[in-house]
Amino acid sequence: MTAFLALLQRDLVVASRHAVFLLLSTLTQPVLVILVFGNILPRLGLVSASLGTVMVPGLMAIAILMAGVQGVLLPLVQDLSGSREVDERLLAPIGVFGVAAGRIVAGAVHAAAAGLLAGPAMILLMHGTGLGDVKPTWWLLLPLVAVAGLLSAAFGLTLGTQVQPRFAGLLFAVVLGPMMLFGCAYYPWAQLKAIGAFQYLFLLNPLTFVSEAMRLAVTPETPHMPLPLLALGLVGWLAAFTAIGTRAFEKRAIL
Amino acid sequence: MSILVVENLEKTYPGTRKTPPVEAVRGVSFAVQSGEFFGLLGPNGAGKSTTLGCISTLVRPTSGRIVVDGVTVAKAPHEVKRRIAVVPQARNLDRDLTVREVLTYHGRYFGLPADEREKRATRLLEELQVADKAEAKPLTLSGGQQQRVLIARALMHDPKVVLLDEPTTGLDPQARRLLWETLRSLHQRGVTFILTTHYMEEADRLCDRLAIVDHGRILTLDTPAALKRSLPGAQVLDLWMRAPQPLAPRLRELAGVLNIEPVDELDGDGDDVERLRLFVEPGEGLLDRVLATVRGGGADLRHISLAQPSLEDVYIHLTGRGLRE
Repeated sequence: MTAFLALLQRDLVVASRHAVFLLLSTLTQPVLVILVFGNILPRLGLVSASLGTVMVPGLMAIAILMAGVQGVLLPLVQDLSGSREVDERLLAPIGVFGVAAGRIVAGAVHAAAAGLLAGPAMILLMHGTGLGDVKPTWWLLLPLVAVAGLLSAAFGLTLGTQVQPRFAGLLFAVVLGPMMLFGCAYYPWAQLKAIGAFQYLFLLNPLTFVSEAMRLAVTPETPHMPLPLLALGLVGWLAAFTAIGTRAFEKRAIL
Repeated sequence: MSILVVENLEKTYPGTRKTPPVEAVRGVSFAVQSGEFFGLLGPNGAGKSTTLGCISTLVRPTSGRIVVDGVTVAKAPHEVKRRIAVVPQARNLDRDLTVREVLTYHGRYFGLPADEREKRATRLLEELQVADKAEAKPLTLSGGQQQRVLIARALMHDPKVVLLDEPTTGLDPQARRLLWETLRSLHQRGVTFILTTHYMEEADRLCDRLAIVDHGRILTLDTPAALKRSLPGAQVLDLWMRAPQPLAPRLRELAGVLNIEPVDELDGDGDDVERLRLFVEPGEGLLDRVLATVRGGGADLRHISLAQPSLEDVYIHLTGRGLRE
């Protein structure tokens, strides 16, 4: 446990030194999207003000996902690169699972920070438009942000161990881009009933559950996913990505 | 007492669809005594680093047993990690920390209390002559300095055995010599080292005993002096020439020539200059006799060297191949 905490502390200290860079890289996009769709377009009368309300939790979810993935993926690429910085961690008196889990927890802290900062930033940018429905339930928000962060970071570990570093750019274009469009960030899952059975395809996207979790916590009055399904999705994807990611990490780390 | 025992170690890296499996280590056994400077000498790809990897828990052996200070690696890897330290071939210093932090965080991973971490870091940075770089980022240091920091980091948790994987590869001769001195003085204070290298001189200067490794097997194991004594003759005469006919049979007849071995030059440049190695007992007129035979055979002699046997000669004697430096 000493080694685990020491490794985590090292990760958080290093991340806090790059905090501005990390947060800018994950927050810029969602926050500017809300400026356009939650403020400018409603003022022009092109979309209804409620679009912004729907998008606030969704964009928080995107911020969490991106920060979680980046928070694990970038250190991981460095770890497993030619110089193998990971060996220093693997030689600490701790198991390989502990090293991998440490990466997930550090990424989750990064993701949670991004999500919790994205929310207020967006609310600020939507000032003067329809904000009536944004009423965060704090006691629900914090644990959900934590679980969503862990899920995103575990997903990052899975991606990072399955994909060659040189394809990292492609990953963002081909995997994360579509995920964000079809992850219920811009529309509530409950309302997808309108497209029939296709609604259930969206459950294959882990971001759907992160979006719906944020929706539940931030805009409880808008339609959202039934709680049991939400809980199952979050825990299920978290368990799956943790299992796949840590196992793949072990395979890559120990020759 | 043996601080490290390696028994019948084998490691085969699984192949992929496009590459066959690689048998990197094929049954290696040796034991290292506490306080010893032990070396594994051999060319790249001989299985040296894989052997070290298995000892350090970073490579999973296919079979065999490794015991460090009474602890079996496969059974209690965490306990082994507390007893060993690794100075890796790739300089893998944490680039996000300062040099001092590299050491103090390492101490933290091993549960050293704060004041002890700081004290040891200060002492080791002094000892390894990198104290002036304490607040610098590792990547701004020269290769030799980084190597010293790696050694300081390895010593932070007071390991019983330090594994050095090709520690001077890529260093300029001056930095290499400086590092040798450092390693020797650490060794004199009782640190047990296991070194892999493909530099003959390094093995010769540092190691109490060494194993010569090739193709995943130990060819011989002894002190450097005993290995050199094992060669026939007191000196080695190398001839590089172009000969229209094989000269070895005639040279072997000469008085004072004990043995002859052809040598494959690993990085030969494609011309047909061949290298013959004569193990000789130098005496009156030996060189004259050899030169006369070469000339008599119509050979074009390009280069000649007469020297005390070195570890490279032992290696060539065992494998028939030169060792690329």
